[in-house]
Amino acid sequence: MTTIRLDSVSRSFGDVRAVDRFSATVEDGTLFTLLGPSGCGKTTLLRMIAGFTEVETGSIWFGDRRIDRLPAHRRNTGMVFQNYAIFPNLTVEGNVAYGLHARKVKPGDIRERVDKALERVRLVGYGPRWPHQLSGGQLQRVAIARVLVIEPEVLLFDEPLSNLDAQLRTQMRVEIRQLQQSLGLTTIYVTHDQEEALAISDRIAILRAGKIEQIGSPEEIYQRPQTAFVAEFLGGTNMLPGIAGRFDGRTTEVTSCGTTIFVQGKAAEAGQKLFLSIRPEALRLAENSESPVLHGKLVLREFLGQIQRLHAALPDGTQIRVSTLGTRNVVAVGAAVTLAYDPAQITVYPGQ
Amino acid sequence: MKGFRYTVVLGALALLVLFLLYPLSLVLDASLRVKGTGAFTLANYAQIFASKYYLNSIGNSLLAAIFAAIGATLIGMPLAFCLARIDMPGRTVLLTLATLPLVLPSFVAAYALVLLFGHAGIVTTGLREIGIPMGPIYGLPGITIVFVLTLYPYVLMPSIAGFRAIDVSIEEAARNLGGSRVHAFRTVLLPVAMPAVLAGALLVFIEALENFGVPVVLAEDRPFLAVDIFKLFAGEADNNPAAAGALSVLLIAGTAIALVIQRRYLSRRRFATSARAAPPPLPLSSGWRALATVFSWGIVALSLLPFVAVLFISFLHFRGPVLTWQLAFSNYLTLLEGSFRPLYNSLLLATITAVVATLLGAPIGYIVTRHRGALSTGLDVIGMVPFAVSGTVLAIGLIIAFNSGVLVLTGGWLILVIAYVVRKLPFCIRSSSAIVHQIEPSLEEASINLGVPPLRTFVRLTVPLMASGLIGGMILVWITVASELSSTIVLYTSRWSTMTVRMYHFLEGGEGAGAASAAAAILILFTAAPLLLIHRRMRRQDDPML
Repeated sequence: MTTIRLDSVSRSFGDVRAVDRFSATVEDGTLFTLLGPSGCGKTTLLRMIAGFTEVETGSIWFGDRRIDRLPAHRRNTGMVFQNYAIFPNLTVEGNVAYGLHARKVKPGDIRERVDKALERVRLVGYGPRWPHQLSGGQLQRVAIARVLVIEPEVLLFDEPLSNLDAQLRTQMRVEIRQLQQSLGLTTIYVTHDQEEALAISDRIAILRAGKIEQIGSPEEIYQRPQTAFVAEFLGGTNMLPGIAGRFDGRTTEVTSCGTTIFVQGKAAEAGQKLFLSIRPEALRLAENSESPVLHGKLVLREFLGQIQRLHAALPDGTQIRVSTLGTRNVVAVGAAVTLAYDPAQITVYPGQ
Repeated sequence: MKGFRYTVVLGALALLVLFLLYPLSLVLDASLRVKGTGAFTLANYAQIFASKYYLNSIGNSLLAAIFAAIGATLIGMPLAFCLARIDMPGRTVLLTLATLPLVLPSFVAAYALVLLFGHAGIVTTGLREIGIPMGPIYGLPGITIVFVLTLYPYVLMPSIAGFRAIDVSIEEAARNLGGSRVHAFRTVLLPVAMPAVLAGALLVFIEALENFGVPVVLAEDRPFLAVDIFKLFAGEADNNPAAAGALSVLLIAGTAIALVIQRRYLSRRRFATSARAAPPPLPLSSGWRALATVFSWGIVALSLLPFVAVLFISFLHFRGPVLTWQLAFSNYLTLLEGSFRPLYNSLLLATITAVVATLLGAPIGYIVTRHRGALSTGLDVIGMVPFAVSGTVLAIGLIIAFNSGVLVLTGGWLILVIAYVVRKLPFCIRSSSAIVHQIEPSLEEASINLGVPPLRTFVRLTVPLMASGLIGGMILVWITVASELSSTIVLYTSRWSTMTVRMYHFLEGGEGAGAASAAAAILILFTAAPLLLIHRRMRRQDDPML
């Protein structure tokens, strides 16, 4: 039963504010992801929880125990490192038993617990092998078994999948998620891969320059990004600058990219600058449509298997991306396209 | 761990201040005082710059060092390219053999040159008999030849690494853009490898400038800095410690400048190209490959020839200084007559030094690598000072410092070990730091995360991971100390005489050529054998493992 609470945690390196007054609560048994571009402070935050980077101000709590002053080896966290950090001088068994020896567990119990941990990560029989005989995915499993075996209070993952190839990455993230859920361990997971974050998390915190941009469930964050940064970082979006016009009681007219775009509700006072975020999948090709449309010219078509991505130029030349299913409605490059959209799916952010 | 860190850093700093900076400051101080009265003066320096003899001495030493650096580069760089990029027979053996001259005692090579080309040398007399007169090998030419043949590995090793560190794609890009192979070599490979080559050349310069053993054997009566310092300090006829001090300060200034250039400018200009795939062997016609093979084997054989010659000659009978063609053990009998003591001393002192220097260097190397801070940076810099100080000068400083007063060390074995440890410390720190660089910090973090406290993690995880590298370094220290001459000659006493000192005395006496050759042979055996052993072991290690 461990709830992790971070209370206004800060840390600077020289003049750089790596983490700036970060507060969040991670509920017991949930997987909480720190997501952001490189240099946003997510790894620093994780290392502060593990105890490898000192907290400058603020506090970190496991339940009602304050842990940010404890030395790293007494925090009882299990950390899986980006490069796995498997001890090359020990066998698989030796690696997995390492934390149990440190805890002075009886030799007989060690044997049993190591076997159980290896079974859990599907590495039965690999105990006597040496690390250099294992593949990347297997090393990853050893790293996970090594932290599971000590029954840590919380699990910490530092971009654990970034060294694996694409297929293994999706497979491992399913395994990690299932293990985490079946053990009910409170987990903090660091990644820069938005798809991985959406797939694996109960809740996500998006960081930018050491500050929280948004915290929420994957659905909330994807569907209702609160800032332009979140919208662009998560899944990619078309961010179009515009100027608010007349509000007719239901929709606002926005002049943007040499055309007029309708937005649900009152977007802003007339004459104000703003940004419109339209997700590529919120646009579809349409000949004649009930809903409002944009007119453009097809510039490039990318075939991506399940979907195709179209790049269309709006009247002033701005390019927008459109994701459509299948390969029907194939239009030649250079031809005119009509793009239908739902005003309710456009998010408005204030311009500068 | 913090306590451990401060203990190591402060302890090491204290030792270096006491046994390195303090003695050196006394040498500097002595050079600035009037002999006898102790008043401040610059007269000692004025005297040096007014004296033709001393200017000659400085000039000769500088010339020899410059020629040595140029010669070593001219040999070492092409050899490095051949070893790095040309598939030739016996390449791995060649690589091992090419490192041997670095640890084989260079004054033994100098002595071999005397045996072969000296006044009564085998080749000289042989040629004279068939009517070809031959000039003497003594002085600058002979000294330069020995320096080039024994110091070229300093250029060779970093150059090989330099040529190998260039990712194959860079060369392919140059070729793809239309450059011929020669053009690609000139415009890409050479500039990328050049900082490493020049860094090696500067090391040759420093080593040659400091070297005492080679000029002492080959200079005859020509002035050379390192020899003159020794004679001025320890000589019976023209004893003048103040002048010795002034010359020492000039010598340190010369090596220090070279070292600063080497560290500040060159080592920072390394181009990291993060080679993922080592560049493949060049596709050469068999003619070119044969040429490269002959060249490479030729150079390495030439550099080892003096040592092989000494080994053979040591089993020939000498009649006084004259060599006969009779096989005999008489040289060894003369050498060990009376006592095995010097041999025993050499081995004992080398062993103590190797252990102490490694135990000191390992934690220092670890801390300067892992923990950047003002103190550890200071330690890193001071730890490199011994590189710039010749053994003779350090020994002179130790004598001045510990001949009287609170701490008297002269006359015992401890002062020898102190001198050796201080001299070998930079090497130990460097090699330990290189080993630590290879160990991912996350390994230690993983251990701490799993519940093992930091200090125990260091002892239980980091030290075992460093062990094999440390043992290699320890053996290298052992080898170089066993054949150390330049500080031993100042610090030894009759009770603590060593093999190298014995050899020096046999040489100086002139009558003892035979015994000297036996001493040289023993030194070669004691240095070459362990080195070949560790090379074997290291090669096996970096095979499939990681």
